[in-house]
Amino acid sequence: MAETATSPTAIAWVPRGAWSGSTRAGSFGAEGVSGIIATLLGGFGLATLIAGTGGASSLSQAVERRLGIVLPATPRIVRGQTHDAIWSGPEQWLLRAASRDGWSALLGELAAHAAVSEQSDARAALRLSGSQVRKVLAKGVMLDLHPAAFAVGDAALTSIAHVGVQLWRLPDGPDGPVFEILVARSMAGSFWSWFSASAAEFGCTVTAG
Amino acid sequence: MSAQPFRLASGGLIDRGHQLEFSFDGTSYRGYAGDTLASALLANGVRLVGRSFKYHRPRGILSAGPEEPNALVELRSGARREPNSRATVVELFAGLAASSQNRWPSLAFDLLSLNGLVSPALVAGFYYKTFMWPASFWEKLYEPLIRRAAGLGRAAGAEDPDHYEKAFAFCDVLVIGAGPAGLSAALAAGRSGARVILCDEDFRLGGRLLAERREIGGRPGSEWLAATLAELASLPEVRIMPRTTVFGLYDHGVYGAVERVADHLPEPPAHQPRQRGWRIHARRAILAAGALERPIVFAGNDLPGVMLAGAVRSYVNRHGVLPGRESVLFTAGDDGWRTARDIAAAGGRVAAIVDSRPDDPARKALADKIGARLFAGGAVLRARGGRQLRAVTIRDASGAVTELACDLLAVSNGWNPTLHLTSHQNGKPAWNEELHCFVPAALPAGLAVAGSAAGRFTLAQALEDGARLGREATAEAGLAAKPAEPTLTTDPETNGLSPVWRVSGGKGKAFVDYQNDVTDKDVELAAREGFRPVEHLKRYTTLGMATDQGKTSNLAGLAIMAEQTGRTIPQTGTTTFRPPYTPVAIGALAGHHRGKDFRPVRLAPTHEWSKEQGAVFVEAGPWLRAQYYPKPGETDWLTTVNREVRAVRSSVGLCDVSTLGKIDIQGADAAEFLERVYSNGWKALPVGKARYGLMLREDGFVMDDGTTSRLGEQHFLMTTTTANAGKVMQHLEFCHQVLWPELDLRMVSVSEQWAQAAIAGPKARETLRGVVDPEHDLSDAAFPYLAARAVTVGGGIPARLFRISFSGELAYELAVPADHGDAMMRGLMQAGAAFGITPYGTEALGVLRIEKGHVAGNELNGQTTARDLGLGRMMSSKKDFIGRLMAGRAALLDQDRPALVGFKPAEPGQRLRAGAHFIGIGRSAEMANDEGYMTSVAYSPHLNHWIGLGLIRGGAARIGERVRAYDPVRNGDVVVEICSPVFVDPEGARLHG
Repeated sequence: MAETATSPTAIAWVPRGAWSGSTRAGSFGAEGVSGIIATLLGGFGLATLIAGTGGASSLSQAVERRLGIVLPATPRIVRGQTHDAIWSGPEQWLLRAASRDGWSALLGELAAHAAVSEQSDARAALRLSGSQVRKVLAKGVMLDLHPAAFAVGDAALTSIAHVGVQLWRLPDGPDGPVFEILVARSMAGSFWSWFSASAAEFGCTVTAG
Repeated sequence: MSAQPFRLASGGLIDRGHQLEFSFDGTSYRGYAGDTLASALLANGVRLVGRSFKYHRPRGILSAGPEEPNALVELRSGARREPNSRATVVELFAGLAASSQNRWPSLAFDLLSLNGLVSPALVAGFYYKTFMWPASFWEKLYEPLIRRAAGLGRAAGAEDPDHYEKAFAFCDVLVIGAGPAGLSAALAAGRSGARVILCDEDFRLGGRLLAERREIGGRPGSEWLAATLAELASLPEVRIMPRTTVFGLYDHGVYGAVERVADHLPEPPAHQPRQRGWRIHARRAILAAGALERPIVFAGNDLPGVMLAGAVRSYVNRHGVLPGRESVLFTAGDDGWRTARDIAAAGGRVAAIVDSRPDDPARKALADKIGARLFAGGAVLRARGGRQLRAVTIRDASGAVTELACDLLAVSNGWNPTLHLTSHQNGKPAWNEELHCFVPAALPAGLAVAGSAAGRFTLAQALEDGARLGREATAEAGLAAKPAEPTLTTDPETNGLSPVWRVSGGKGKAFVDYQNDVTDKDVELAAREGFRPVEHLKRYTTLGMATDQGKTSNLAGLAIMAEQTGRTIPQTGTTTFRPPYTPVAIGALAGHHRGKDFRPVRLAPTHEWSKEQGAVFVEAGPWLRAQYYPKPGETDWLTTVNREVRAVRSSVGLCDVSTLGKIDIQGADAAEFLERVYSNGWKALPVGKARYGLMLREDGFVMDDGTTSRLGEQHFLMTTTTANAGKVMQHLEFCHQVLWPELDLRMVSVSEQWAQAAIAGPKARETLRGVVDPEHDLSDAAFPYLAARAVTVGGGIPARLFRISFSGELAYELAVPADHGDAMMRGLMQAGAAFGITPYGTEALGVLRIEKGHVAGNELNGQTTARDLGLGRMMSSKKDFIGRLMAGRAALLDQDRPALVGFKPAEPGQRLRAGAHFIGIGRSAEMANDEGYMTSVAYSPHLNHWIGLGLIRGGAARIGERVRAYDPVRNGDVVVEICSPVFVDPEGARLHG
């Protein structure tokens, strides 16, 4: 069959974030209080970096040279000005960029040192803070998140309500500990069902970050 | 409204300013905040609260705690109705509606109490003996009959409207029980800065201190209690959890607990769960659960009004209720005397004290002071009354018998340590001859036992144990313990005891296990009939079963068996316990995971679009996939599916395939790795091309299939079936990490990153042309069959395009980053509008592949080999691969193995059914004649009749032959013709359009 040249249709390529369909900005639960602040994160760049056989140090040097951060060798998050590296397994990291400007070029560079897999759209991301944040996480996280056991910068791969998650602790905010959580995009709805049921008693404000 | 006639004028830990109205069996009563349902009923003179399990005997309140075997009631109504609630631990709230259970037609007049008259037929083992014959009667007649007559409360038929939660907690020291031992332990650990969790099942902390009139450090016990609770509350790392029962001890310091968040309220407040199930991880734990008092077995010992002596003290001292006007105490030890003393102190009358031990001047003096007649060396032979206690028959030391009127008989026979948790990992308690009870012996790692739970029954011992073990646990948890505080003094106490297991000679039934209506005679019968080991005794008589698990009965049963068999108690057996300590609602274990939240559901990035298109969704593993997209006016699924299939074959269709597993594989040895895990060859695959791959299990059977594309020299993208995505990833990781760690290879799932759509049909290319950026040449020459390349859409959005086909049509799969998945579907709909582009779901996908003879989940069922499926040529003979050797086993090469072919009905109008078995025409339908079975069927709108794929002995060699497709499940018996499995376009011309 001959190629038929149809003129390109004017398609509106409106992106739809990982949380759409599950939740939006607003508040829910107990009225008059906001024990939990949930910030829906979007627009970040995310990629899996896996060092090749014997290639961890070359990758680490490349990342340090380029981004000024040292890849962590233990379950931690290392934060830089624009990029964070989160330990995800032996010689495996998630690289997160605050924005996607220059993102593909960066990934192209790093591909010389590691297997780089684009994951920017693969996770729904959430920042949790508020005075009751540890109480709500205790309803799902099977890890000890006491400040003495889970320090600022600690990261973990675990599950919440049967949904696999990756989470870490950021520096404390005005209401105490702050956590970020990555959830598999396809399970964002089930995760939110657990979260909204669990956070409701504390009152929750949801904002889009 | 009654005036609480049995409430004392003053005293008790109740809030007399806060009256609560409640009802029992429809009658309204009043109690106070701080009451339990049991204490409020007793205050109102309600003593008959239930009927017994088997004989429907009147029963009252025996205890004041979790061990209660008798006072089981239904709480609330409708969907919140909750059977078998122990009135002794139900916290009173305004509006509480309770009702008695296991009575008909009413509690006071129960027709089934006649069971008592035919009781010889209902002795131990009666189920086994009476209802054995004829066997067919069991299910239809005996069991329903027994279930109606016997049994306890009724479950609510409706779905529980309340929410439940699970939660996880961590601590250095878990303290179980907030009595004097537990409080001391929590304080000692908490003062050292340890993270402490203190749980108590009661709504008020203090344990026995709440029920006793004791002194600590020269001051009333209540003052020490208040000061201790205040200090604990001030320690930031101490978490106090009242209304929380630690019900189980598990491996590695994990404890199960249930917190009754809203059981004490009519309904949970908005956003609050009813209960919360806790999993507590503790470095160290201290069991300070106290002890449970033991009744005595004598005739009529189950009458309402016969009560444990310690429970009487609870009601008098804690609740300000005197449970009787005229009391008698029957005691085997010193502890019971405290009850007589406290009744007298509260202004009650103690008519007599019956002490099983010989005369003693000090006790005589005390009896005189109390104003009670003393029967030293005596026993209560029998309790009498109709629906409640009226009199007791006492035999004195000389054997003379006295009848005394009374309405309360307090019974004291020593206490059993609440050591249940020490036994949850099979630890056997040890018999202590001096204490006359089992005490914890081998302890689970990390657990220590304090106070009464360890058989150290005095208040001084409890305080001392708690303080010491609290400090030790802190040190063991790795913290520096504070120096010991001076030991606290208490008022003096004695604990002399000479237990009485049963009193023989009284007329009437003497109960060992109240809840299961097991009498001393039943235990004797079990001994006579040879059911002597304790486990047999339990199963033969039901002793120790049901909701109380024998908390008040196990030891007496054991003692009587020991006596019958001429052995000691430890020779006879030990009591062992399994979790849970007390009943736990299933809801608290399930937490959030019920209904649609039973497990996570995965939604494709195109889900909202499919919903807008009116899709009917089907569960595919954890995914919800669009099954078909009915249009208005289409009344059955087949009409819809036929339309969707026709659209694909005649023009163009659009289907979400985002759910397929996608694995990014990179590295110098990536091709070598594929060579080993797939049965077919990969090294020659050029960059920019896709290939169909077949993966075998180690045992030679087919595991999964899919296409894998070479995106770069060292970069592949593997796809798996939706159902096997996780399994394949696991398999690949195993192969890499365990079998071939030397391969330079990196893998990660990118399933979540990409939204992917199949665009299939003669107009597929023209449709795509409107979506893919114009610089990408899509012509057949530039982008031929099995091309797989990066493209862009929407002016630079990275995308991947694969020219692969499951339908046999000209088809592509387009993948875009998931955020753009929704827009991709809308764009494709827009671009294909001129061709009548039609969304299709998994049903049409199935029809299209069956028409082409492609195998899918029904055929890849773990029992088929590549040869069975006609894919034998995909097993390379030029290399080794997983499954190669085992696939060569003689049995798997047997020419007689059922192999894949197509089937069509001999009469075109007939419907085929998957699952039907093939039998030669004229042969009978039996296993010996079975030749294989139909794996997949579809109605082909292309051929206008049903078609099928199936596995039949002989396979393709039999094409043209007819057989029966026999389906006894759905009464199907259709003659089918064996044919090629490719029903449409066998030359594959459409593919290359």
